[in-house]
Amino acid sequence: MRIRREIRARKALRDRIAYHGIGIGAAFFFLAPFAVSFLASFRPNSESGRPPLPPWPLSGLSFDAYRALDSFGSGIWQHMFNSLVVSIGTVVLTVAVSVLAGYGFSRYRFPFKNALFVLIIATLMIPFQSILTPLFIILARLGLNNSLLGLMLVYVTLQLPFSVFMMRNAFDAVPKEIEEAARIDGARDLRLLVRVLLPLVMPGIATVSIFAFLNAWNEFFAALVLLSSNDNYTLPVLMTAVRAGRLGAINWGAVEAGVAVMVVPCLFVFLLLQRYYMRGLMAGAVK
Amino acid sequence: MANGIGNKSVVLGDIRKSYGNLEVIHGIDLTIEEGDFVVFVGPSGCGKSTLLRMIAGLEEVTEGEIAIKGRDVTDLDPSERGIAMVFQSYALYPHMSVRENLGFGLKMARTDPADIERRVAQVSAILKIDPLLDRRPGQLSGGQRQRVAIGRAIVRKPDVFLFDEPLSNLDAELRVSMRIEIARLHRELGNTMIYVTHDQTEAMTLADQIVVLRDGRIEQTGSPREVYEDPANMFVAGFIGSPRMNFLEAEWQGDGTVHIGSAALRAPIDGSSLAPGDRLRLGMRPEHLTVCEPGAERIAAQVEFSEYLGGTRYLYCQLEDGQSLVVEQREGPDWQVGERVSFSVPEDRRRFFAGDGRRLR
Repeated sequence: MRIRREIRARKALRDRIAYHGIGIGAAFFFLAPFAVSFLASFRPNSESGRPPLPPWPLSGLSFDAYRALDSFGSGIWQHMFNSLVVSIGTVVLTVAVSVLAGYGFSRYRFPFKNALFVLIIATLMIPFQSILTPLFIILARLGLNNSLLGLMLVYVTLQLPFSVFMMRNAFDAVPKEIEEAARIDGARDLRLLVRVLLPLVMPGIATVSIFAFLNAWNEFFAALVLLSSNDNYTLPVLMTAVRAGRLGAINWGAVEAGVAVMVVPCLFVFLLLQRYYMRGLMAGAVK
Repeated sequence: MANGIGNKSVVLGDIRKSYGNLEVIHGIDLTIEEGDFVVFVGPSGCGKSTLLRMIAGLEEVTEGEIAIKGRDVTDLDPSERGIAMVFQSYALYPHMSVRENLGFGLKMARTDPADIERRVAQVSAILKIDPLLDRRPGQLSGGQRQRVAIGRAIVRKPDVFLFDEPLSNLDAELRVSMRIEIARLHRELGNTMIYVTHDQTEAMTLADQIVVLRDGRIEQTGSPREVYEDPANMFVAGFIGSPRMNFLEAEWQGDGTVHIGSAALRAPIDGSSLAPGDRLRLGMRPEHLTVCEPGAERIAAQVEFSEYLGGTRYLYCQLEDGQSLVVEQREGPDWQVGERVSFSVPEDRRRFFAGDGRRLR
């Protein structure tokens, strides 16, 4: 009896070690790059050219890298602000349009509904780099080139096909009876949408928001092409500018500091919305 | 249309519904008296739910008129018709507490918050759901959810309650107790209720008036007793009652009798429209057939198998000419498979139908 219990205990211990060992190992691979960047961003200027290992600062903490980053362009706060304006604007516009479009595609019957929907989804297949030139020309005609608003509109455009698709699925998952019950209860049109349906498609909205935010926050190419003045640079463009450095020498410290700064809002948004996000991706998977 | 008279609650005038070129409801005329409990029954696809949804305003009426309490509501919004509806899937708002679910309709109608509070309390007391008021629908059992759904209907004090198969999602035991609950509610509130179901027991037990529908047409309207004992046609006779009525092929003799195989039975019908040799159907309910000694006016059959249900037994028999017959037997000895038995059926329990299903009287 005793021996049996011991064997069992040993087996449980072995299992637990294996389970947590693998988990820690996997986590290490995901977290190591962040840790390296984050630690390296605190190296003093004199160390910034050193090889990456060990990543931590050898001669005490220093904020040289952050200072260097801030001295670039119009200051890190300005560029952070640019990025936030574009990203948040993208999220708000994308959600507003995709909720209405998704609701329409899910609930209304109109001619060519499916053809239109397929057309919208089909635009996902076009690499956006290929339409950047026409977009640039359109924005220029509208007087929106080199403006954050113009960039925001481009991001919204790129984000919409996926978002409309997502929101249509979210609305499809809401039983029709709930909407009918609300209609009998006297909720119509916008009130019906806001009071009854919106809370039910929250997971879809969270998913759309996360994707819109991350894509807008990290997008580089369109920002590089469409923004021409330094003051308007978003963070990814700033980062490349920082990296280019002076006289061909790369200020690695500033780059690491920039990476650290850029990651924070993404983490924040994801942690804020992840509960809904998981449910959003799973919507309709079971039941 | 004869509306405007005080005791008419719901009047349907030649209601039609088409989807594109396909007409699914073919002109329904129905008058429902104030305070009646009306049940729409019919096989699936007969249009009973569509009809209910048209009364609710969830489905557009292609042609015809709907009046509730003498007011033409055909083109009114659901919330303006003075109706409330209970759905099969409950359709509670999952993100709101029970209290908010109950009060939502009143809130949409901009009722005074104190008044909402009072009415919600009143309704939850009637339905005994007051301990659940702060829970979300996801935390409730099926029966509790259905109570909340009914409460949400009551709280609005509608003229007419509409129920769309409200009990089909519940288990058998709960269904019985909710059925009794709904009957009690109807007695207490005294409102007009329209109830859609495919469950005959619900229809028979709840209804003041049963409306039997088939393929978008009314086959018969009447009290449960009328529909059961005096069916208008073969469809109603076969649809209402379980096990269903036996229909035996019979031949009209012209002298007031019919022949089934070698048996001759008296047929108390007006045979003026019939010619000797015409094929008829003789309908007999399983419980009206009794086992007896062979003789005149008897149907002879062989027992194929029997089901023992405790209180009663069903004998499945076959006639000499291959027609099958189900007999409900409450008393008497057990019959073994293969035994030959004779049955009699009282003359006033025989129902005769023409070849096209029309009742012959």
